[in-house]
Amino acid sequence: MPEIMSALNAVFCEVFEDDGLSITRDTSAADIDGWDSLTHVTLILHVEKAFGVRFSSSEVSGLETAGDLEALIAARSAKD
Amino acid sequence: LQLAQQKTESGVESSLVTRLVESIRVRHPRSLAGVLEAQAVNPARFDAYANMLLHWALCAFGEGTIERMADAFVRFSSDVNFAQARYEAAGRYENKSYQECQDTVYCQKETMDDYLMGIYLTNFLWAHHMEISLFFEERFLTSLAPGSHIVEIASGHGGWGLWALHSVADARLDAFDISPAAVEMSSALAKAANLQDRANYALQDALAMDTRAVGPADACICGFLIEHLEKPDELMEVIGRLLRPRGVAFLTGALTAAQVDHIFEFRYESELVLLAEHHGLRVTDLRSVGPKRTLRGASFLPRSIALVLQKRTHETW
Repeated sequence: MPEIMSALNAVFCEVFEDDGLSITRDTSAADIDGWDSLTHVTLILHVEKAFGVRFSSSEVSGLETAGDLEALIAARSAKD
Repeated sequence: LQLAQQKTESGVESSLVTRLVESIRVRHPRSLAGVLEAQAVNPARFDAYANMLLHWALCAFGEGTIERMADAFVRFSSDVNFAQARYEAAGRYENKSYQECQDTVYCQKETMDDYLMGIYLTNFLWAHHMEISLFFEERFLTSLAPGSHIVEIASGHGGWGLWALHSVADARLDAFDISPAAVEMSSALAKAANLQDRANYALQDALAMDTRAVGPADACICGFLIEHLEKPDELMEVIGRLLRPRGVAFLTGALTAAQVDHIFEFRYESELVLLAEHHGLRVTDLRSVGPKRTLRGASFLPRSIALVLQKRTHETW
Protein backbone atom coordinates (compact mmCIF):
# COMPACT_ATOMS: atom_id res chain seq x y z
CA MET A 1 0.00 0.00 0.00
CA PRO A 2 2.82 2.46 -0.71
CA GLU A 3 0.52 4.77 -2.68
CA ILE A 4 -1.77 5.15 0.35
CA MET A 5 1.19 5.93 2.59
CA SER A 6 2.47 8.51 0.14
CA ALA A 7 -0.88 10.29 -0.08
CA LEU A 8 -1.24 10.00 3.69
CA ASN A 9 2.13 11.66 4.15
CA ALA A 10 0.92 14.63 2.09
CA VAL A 11 -2.15 14.92 4.32
CA PHE A 12 0.03 14.84 7.45
CA CYS A 13 2.28 17.57 6.01
CA GLU A 14 -0.74 19.76 5.33
CA VAL A 15 -2.48 19.21 8.68
CA PHE A 16 0.64 19.62 10.81
CA GLU A 17 1.95 22.41 8.57
CA ASP A 18 5.34 20.77 8.13
CA ASP A 19 6.47 20.04 4.57
CA GLY A 20 9.44 18.07 5.86
CA LEU A 21 7.33 15.56 7.73
CA SER A 22 8.05 11.96 6.75
CA ILE A 23 5.76 9.45 8.38
CA THR A 24 6.16 5.70 8.70
CA ARG A 25 3.67 3.05 9.72
CA ASP A 26 4.90 3.39 13.29
CA THR A 27 4.47 7.15 13.50
CA SER A 28 2.24 8.00 16.48
CA ALA A 29 1.16 11.03 18.49
CA ALA A 30 4.40 10.76 20.45
CA ASP A 31 6.37 11.56 17.28
CA ILE A 32 4.49 14.63 16.07
CA ASP A 33 4.06 17.84 18.03
CA GLY A 34 0.46 18.93 18.21
CA TRP A 35 -1.19 15.58 17.39
CA ASP A 36 -3.79 15.90 20.11
CA SER A 37 -7.43 14.82 20.17
CA LEU A 38 -8.67 17.93 18.33
CA THR A 39 -6.01 17.84 15.63
CA HIS A 40 -6.84 14.17 15.20
CA VAL A 41 -10.34 15.19 14.11
CA THR A 42 -8.88 17.68 11.61
CA LEU A 43 -6.52 14.98 10.34
CA ILE A 44 -9.36 12.50 9.82
CA LEU A 45 -11.49 15.09 8.00
CA HIS A 46 -8.58 15.80 5.64
CA VAL A 47 -8.04 12.06 5.12
CA GLU A 48 -11.74 11.62 4.32
CA LYS A 49 -11.51 14.35 1.71
CA ALA A 50 -8.26 13.09 0.19
CA PHE A 51 -9.41 9.47 -0.10
CA GLY A 52 -13.12 10.03 -0.70
CA VAL A 53 -14.22 8.00 2.31
CA ARG A 54 -16.10 8.72 5.52
CA PHE A 55 -15.39 7.23 8.93
CA SER A 56 -17.33 7.00 12.15
CA SER A 57 -15.90 8.27 15.39
CA SER A 58 -15.64 4.74 16.77
CA GLU A 59 -13.53 3.66 13.77
CA VAL A 60 -10.93 6.36 14.21
CA SER A 61 -10.81 7.24 17.92
CA GLY A 62 -8.67 4.23 18.79
CA LEU A 63 -6.16 4.54 15.94
CA GLU A 64 -2.67 4.83 17.35
CA THR A 65 -0.31 4.97 14.39
CA ALA A 66 -0.19 6.13 10.78
CA GLY A 67 -0.07 2.43 9.88
CA ASP A 68 -3.41 1.87 11.63
CA LEU A 69 -4.86 4.70 9.57
CA GLU A 70 -3.37 3.29 6.38
CA ALA A 71 -4.93 -0.13 7.09
CA LEU A 72 -8.31 1.45 7.74
CA ILE A 73 -8.19 3.41 4.48
CA ALA A 74 -7.15 0.28 2.57
CA ALA A 75 -9.99 -1.76 4.10
CA ARG A 76 -12.52 0.95 3.35
CA SER A 77 -11.26 1.46 -0.20
CA ALA A 78 -11.46 -2.28 -0.88
CA LYS A 79 -15.02 -2.41 0.49
CA ASP A 80 -16.12 0.61 -1.58
CA LEU B 1 -16.52 -0.25 50.93
CA GLN B 2 -15.39 0.40 54.49
CA LEU B 3 -11.80 -0.33 53.57
CA ALA B 4 -11.97 2.07 50.62
CA GLN B 5 -13.46 4.79 52.82
CA GLN B 6 -10.70 4.34 55.35
CA LYS B 7 -8.20 4.69 52.56
CA THR B 8 -9.80 7.97 51.50
CA GLU B 9 -9.69 9.37 55.01
CA SER B 10 -6.01 8.54 55.30
CA GLY B 11 -5.27 10.14 51.96
CA VAL B 12 -4.01 6.97 50.32
CA GLU B 13 -6.58 7.27 47.53
CA SER B 14 -5.15 10.52 46.24
CA SER B 15 -3.45 8.09 43.87
CA LEU B 16 -6.79 7.58 42.11
CA VAL B 17 -6.28 10.82 40.21
CA THR B 18 -2.71 9.87 39.39
CA ARG B 19 -3.92 6.49 38.20
CA LEU B 20 -6.53 8.06 35.94
CA VAL B 21 -4.16 10.62 34.44
CA GLU B 22 -1.51 7.94 33.96
CA SER B 23 -4.03 5.67 32.26
CA ILE B 24 -4.85 8.46 29.80
CA ARG B 25 -1.18 9.31 29.31
CA VAL B 26 -0.31 5.71 28.41
CA ARG B 27 -3.44 4.54 26.62
CA HIS B 28 -4.72 7.75 25.06
CA PRO B 29 -1.82 10.21 24.72
CA ARG B 30 -3.70 12.45 22.28
CA SER B 31 -6.19 13.23 25.08
CA LEU B 32 -3.61 14.18 27.68
CA ALA B 33 -3.31 17.88 26.76
CA GLY B 34 -6.98 18.52 27.50
CA VAL B 35 -6.79 16.67 30.81
CA LEU B 36 -3.78 18.70 31.97
CA GLU B 37 -5.60 21.86 30.92
CA ALA B 38 -8.53 20.85 33.14
CA GLN B 39 -6.22 20.10 36.05
CA ALA B 40 -4.64 23.55 35.70
CA VAL B 41 -8.02 25.31 36.13
CA ASN B 42 -7.81 24.64 39.87
CA PRO B 43 -5.45 21.82 40.85
CA ALA B 44 -6.70 21.47 44.42
CA ARG B 45 -10.38 21.33 43.49
CA PHE B 46 -9.60 19.09 40.50
CA ASP B 47 -8.04 16.58 42.87
CA ALA B 48 -10.95 16.89 45.29
CA TYR B 49 -13.67 16.38 42.65
CA ALA B 50 -11.77 13.63 40.90
CA ASN B 51 -11.08 11.74 44.10
CA MET B 52 -14.67 11.99 45.25
CA LEU B 53 -16.16 10.80 41.96
CA LEU B 54 -13.52 8.14 41.29
CA HIS B 55 -13.74 6.79 44.80
CA TRP B 56 -17.50 6.32 44.49
CA ALA B 57 -17.09 4.69 41.08
CA LEU B 58 -14.36 2.35 42.26
CA CYS B 59 -16.45 1.28 45.24
CA ALA B 60 -19.52 0.80 43.05
CA PHE B 61 -18.03 -1.01 40.07
CA GLY B 62 -14.82 -2.61 41.31
CA GLU B 63 -11.25 -3.00 40.15
CA GLY B 64 -10.58 -1.91 36.57
CA THR B 65 -13.18 0.87 36.77
CA ILE B 66 -10.67 3.71 36.47
CA GLU B 67 -9.25 2.34 33.23
CA ARG B 68 -12.70 1.48 31.88
CA MET B 69 -13.88 5.00 32.63
CA ALA B 70 -10.79 6.52 31.02
CA ASP B 71 -11.54 4.55 27.85
CA ALA B 72 -15.20 5.61 27.94
CA PHE B 73 -14.22 9.24 28.47
CA VAL B 74 -11.92 9.21 25.43
CA ARG B 75 -14.58 7.53 23.27
CA PHE B 76 -17.20 10.02 24.43
CA SER B 77 -14.92 13.02 23.85
CA SER B 78 -14.03 11.70 20.41
CA ASP B 79 -17.73 11.32 19.55
CA VAL B 80 -18.32 14.89 20.69
CA ASN B 81 -15.39 16.26 18.67
CA PHE B 82 -16.55 14.47 15.52
CA ALA B 83 -20.14 15.58 16.03
CA GLN B 84 -18.85 19.14 16.36
CA ALA B 85 -16.85 18.80 13.16
CA ARG B 86 -19.93 17.51 11.28
CA TYR B 87 -21.94 20.38 12.78
CA GLU B 88 -19.32 22.88 11.59
CA ALA B 89 -19.67 21.47 8.07
CA ALA B 90 -23.48 21.29 8.04
CA GLY B 91 -24.21 24.45 10.04
CA ARG B 92 -26.83 22.65 12.11
CA TYR B 93 -27.20 19.66 14.42
CA GLU B 94 -28.03 16.31 12.91
CA ASN B 95 -31.79 16.18 12.62
CA LYS B 96 -32.87 13.61 15.17
CA SER B 97 -36.06 13.21 17.12
CA TYR B 98 -36.23 12.69 20.86
CA GLN B 99 -37.86 9.29 20.25
CA GLU B 100 -34.98 8.27 17.98
CA CYS B 101 -32.44 9.19 20.67
CA GLN B 102 -34.45 7.31 23.26
CA ASP B 103 -34.55 4.16 21.13
CA THR B 104 -30.93 4.23 19.95
CA VAL B 105 -29.15 5.67 22.99
CA TYR B 106 -31.06 6.05 26.27
CA CYS B 107 -32.66 2.62 26.31
CA GLN B 108 -29.59 0.69 25.08
CA LYS B 109 -27.82 -0.51 28.21
CA GLU B 110 -24.38 -1.11 26.73
CA THR B 111 -24.35 2.20 24.85
CA MET B 112 -25.66 4.04 27.89
CA ASP B 113 -23.18 2.49 30.35
CA ASP B 114 -20.29 3.71 28.21
CA TYR B 115 -21.93 7.09 27.56
CA LEU B 116 -22.66 7.72 31.26
CA MET B 117 -19.19 6.72 32.38
CA GLY B 118 -17.66 9.04 29.80
CA ILE B 119 -19.85 11.96 30.82
CA TYR B 120 -19.18 11.30 34.52
CA LEU B 121 -15.51 12.13 33.99
CA THR B 122 -16.15 15.22 31.86
CA ASN B 123 -17.26 16.95 35.07
CA PHE B 124 -13.60 17.49 35.85
CA LEU B 125 -11.62 16.24 32.81
CA TRP B 126 -12.95 18.92 30.45
CA ALA B 127 -11.50 22.27 31.45
CA HIS B 128 -14.68 24.20 30.79
CA HIS B 129 -16.73 21.64 32.71
CA MET B 130 -14.27 21.91 35.57
CA GLU B 131 -15.27 25.59 35.65
CA ILE B 132 -18.95 24.61 35.67
CA SER B 133 -18.23 22.25 38.60
CA LEU B 134 -16.56 25.07 40.53
CA PHE B 135 -19.60 27.25 39.84
CA PHE B 136 -21.93 24.47 41.05
CA GLU B 137 -20.00 24.15 44.29
CA GLU B 138 -19.41 27.84 44.98
CA ARG B 139 -22.65 29.43 43.78
CA PHE B 140 -25.29 26.73 44.18
CA LEU B 141 -24.36 24.15 46.82
CA THR B 142 -23.40 26.84 49.32
CA SER B 143 -26.91 28.32 49.03
CA LEU B 144 -28.67 25.10 50.11
CA ALA B 145 -29.83 24.79 53.72
CA PRO B 146 -29.38 21.60 55.74
CA GLY B 147 -32.29 19.23 55.23
CA SER B 148 -33.14 20.61 51.78
CA HIS B 149 -35.39 18.54 49.56
CA ILE B 150 -33.70 18.34 46.17
CA VAL B 151 -35.24 17.05 42.96
CA GLU B 152 -32.94 16.02 40.14
CA ILE B 153 -34.38 15.86 36.64
CA ALA B 154 -32.60 13.54 34.20
CA SER B 155 -30.13 12.46 36.86
CA GLY B 156 -28.03 10.41 34.42
CA HIS B 157 -24.98 9.02 36.19
CA GLY B 158 -26.16 10.69 39.40
CA GLY B 159 -22.97 12.62 40.14
CA TRP B 160 -24.52 16.07 40.55
CA GLY B 161 -27.23 14.99 42.99
CA LEU B 162 -24.88 12.83 45.02
CA TRP B 163 -22.42 15.69 45.26
CA ALA B 164 -25.24 17.82 46.67
CA LEU B 165 -26.18 15.14 49.23
CA HIS B 166 -22.52 14.74 50.13
CA SER B 167 -22.21 18.50 50.73
CA VAL B 168 -25.52 19.44 52.37
CA ALA B 169 -26.27 17.87 55.75
CA ASP B 170 -29.50 15.87 55.94
CA ALA B 171 -30.54 16.85 52.41
CA ARG B 172 -32.69 14.31 50.58
CA LEU B 173 -32.93 13.64 46.90
CA ASP B 174 -35.66 12.49 44.53
CA ALA B 175 -34.11 11.81 41.15
CA PHE B 176 -35.71 10.85 37.84
CA ASP B 177 -34.39 9.51 34.56
CA ILE B 178 -35.90 7.72 31.56
CA SER B 179 -32.92 5.41 31.14
CA PRO B 180 -32.79 2.12 33.10
CA ALA B 181 -28.97 2.18 32.82
CA ALA B 182 -28.89 5.64 34.42
CA VAL B 183 -31.08 4.59 37.33
CA GLU B 184 -28.92 1.51 37.85
CA MET B 185 -25.65 3.47 37.76
CA SER B 186 -26.80 6.30 40.02
CA SER B 187 -28.27 3.84 42.54
CA ALA B 188 -24.98 1.93 42.65
CA LEU B 189 -23.00 5.14 43.13
CA ALA B 190 -25.36 6.28 45.92
CA LYS B 191 -24.75 3.01 47.74
CA ALA B 192 -21.00 3.32 47.24
CA ALA B 193 -21.12 6.87 48.62
CA ASN B 194 -23.18 5.62 51.58
CA LEU B 195 -25.89 8.08 50.63
CA GLN B 196 -28.56 5.57 49.58
CA ASP B 197 -30.77 6.31 52.60
CA ARG B 198 -31.20 9.91 51.44
CA ALA B 199 -31.45 9.27 47.69
CA ASN B 200 -34.38 7.87 45.74
CA TYR B 201 -34.00 7.08 42.03
CA ALA B 202 -37.00 6.42 39.83
CA LEU B 203 -37.37 5.36 36.19
CA GLN B 204 -39.66 8.17 35.18
CA ASP B 205 -39.95 10.93 32.62
CA ALA B 206 -39.86 13.95 34.91
CA LEU B 207 -41.51 16.07 32.25
CA ALA B 208 -44.56 13.82 32.25
CA MET B 209 -44.97 13.27 35.99
CA ASP B 210 -47.38 14.82 38.45
CA THR B 211 -45.12 17.39 40.10
CA ARG B 212 -47.53 17.76 43.04
CA ALA B 213 -46.59 14.24 44.13
CA VAL B 214 -42.89 15.19 44.35
CA GLY B 215 -42.73 18.88 45.14
CA PRO B 216 -42.66 21.49 46.32
CA ALA B 217 -38.89 21.19 46.35
CA ASP B 218 -36.35 23.47 47.96
CA ALA B 219 -33.97 22.91 45.08
CA CYS B 220 -33.79 21.37 41.65
CA ILE B 221 -30.82 20.14 39.65
CA CYS B 222 -30.94 19.53 35.92
CA GLY B 223 -27.63 18.94 34.20
CA PHE B 224 -27.40 19.03 30.41
CA LEU B 225 -30.90 17.90 29.56
CA ILE B 226 -32.40 20.94 27.89
CA GLU B 227 -30.50 20.60 24.61
CA HIS B 228 -31.77 17.01 24.31
CA LEU B 229 -35.40 18.12 24.12
CA GLU B 230 -37.58 19.05 21.18
CA LYS B 231 -39.51 21.51 23.34
CA PRO B 232 -37.12 22.92 25.95
CA ASP B 233 -39.69 25.27 27.44
CA GLU B 234 -41.49 22.21 28.87
CA LEU B 235 -38.49 21.63 31.14
CA MET B 236 -38.49 25.21 32.45
CA GLU B 237 -42.22 24.93 33.06
CA VAL B 238 -41.73 21.77 35.15
CA ILE B 239 -38.91 23.35 37.17
CA GLY B 240 -41.12 26.36 37.84
CA ARG B 241 -43.92 24.07 39.07
CA LEU B 242 -41.62 21.85 41.17
CA LEU B 243 -39.97 24.57 43.21
CA ARG B 244 -41.43 26.15 46.32
CA PRO B 245 -41.55 29.96 46.27
CA ARG B 246 -37.94 31.19 46.45
CA GLY B 247 -36.70 27.67 45.78
CA VAL B 248 -33.54 27.48 43.69
CA ALA B 249 -32.43 25.48 40.68
CA PHE B 250 -29.13 24.67 39.01
CA LEU B 251 -29.52 24.14 35.29
CA THR B 252 -26.87 23.54 32.66
CA GLY B 253 -27.11 23.44 28.90
CA ALA B 254 -25.06 23.36 25.73
CA LEU B 255 -24.75 26.20 23.22
CA THR B 256 -23.59 25.49 19.67
CA ALA B 257 -22.13 22.26 21.02
CA ALA B 258 -23.04 19.19 19.01
CA GLN B 259 -23.40 15.68 20.34
CA VAL B 260 -24.97 12.56 18.92
CA ASP B 261 -28.20 13.19 20.85
CA HIS B 262 -28.33 17.00 20.98
CA ILE B 263 -31.53 18.08 19.30
CA PHE B 264 -32.24 21.70 20.20
CA GLU B 265 -29.58 24.12 19.00
CA PHE B 266 -29.21 27.01 21.45
CA ARG B 267 -26.98 29.72 20.03
CA TYR B 268 -27.09 32.48 22.62
CA GLU B 269 -26.97 32.59 26.42
CA SER B 270 -30.02 34.85 26.45
CA GLU B 271 -32.21 32.11 24.97
CA LEU B 272 -32.03 30.14 28.22
CA VAL B 273 -32.40 33.25 30.34
CA LEU B 274 -35.61 34.21 28.49
CA LEU B 275 -36.99 30.68 28.78
CA ALA B 276 -36.40 30.74 32.55
CA GLU B 277 -37.95 34.17 32.95
CA HIS B 278 -40.98 33.14 30.92
CA HIS B 279 -41.69 30.35 33.42
CA GLY B 280 -41.58 32.33 36.66
CA LEU B 281 -37.90 31.98 37.39
CA ARG B 282 -35.28 34.63 38.03
CA VAL B 283 -31.68 34.13 36.93
CA THR B 284 -29.57 34.95 39.98
CA ASP B 285 -26.26 33.73 38.61
CA LEU B 286 -24.88 32.61 35.27
CA ARG B 287 -21.65 31.16 33.96
CA SER B 288 -20.96 30.46 30.30
CA VAL B 289 -17.70 28.81 29.33
CA GLY B 290 -16.15 27.36 26.24
CA PRO B 291 -13.02 25.30 25.72
CA LYS B 292 -9.76 27.17 25.15
CA ARG B 293 -8.85 24.86 22.27
CA THR B 294 -11.31 24.39 19.41
CA LEU B 295 -11.34 22.65 16.06
CA ARG B 296 -9.17 24.39 13.50
CA GLY B 297 -11.08 27.14 11.71
CA ALA B 298 -14.12 26.69 13.95
CA SER B 299 -16.97 29.12 13.50
CA PHE B 300 -18.86 27.87 16.56
CA LEU B 301 -17.56 27.96 20.13
CA PRO B 302 -19.09 24.93 21.90
CA ARG B 303 -20.07 26.48 25.22
CA SER B 304 -21.59 25.08 28.37
CA ILE B 305 -23.83 27.37 30.34
CA ALA B 306 -24.87 27.05 33.98
CA LEU B 307 -27.71 29.04 35.48
CA VAL B 308 -28.72 29.44 39.10
CA LEU B 309 -32.44 30.14 39.12
CA GLN B 310 -34.87 31.20 41.80
CA LYS B 311 -38.65 30.81 41.71
CA ARG B 312 -40.15 34.28 41.67
CA THR B 313 -42.78 35.39 44.15
CA HIS B 314 -43.40 38.75 42.47
CA GLU B 315 -43.76 39.85 38.88
CA THR B 316 -40.07 40.52 38.43
CA TRP B 317 -38.28 38.90 41.40
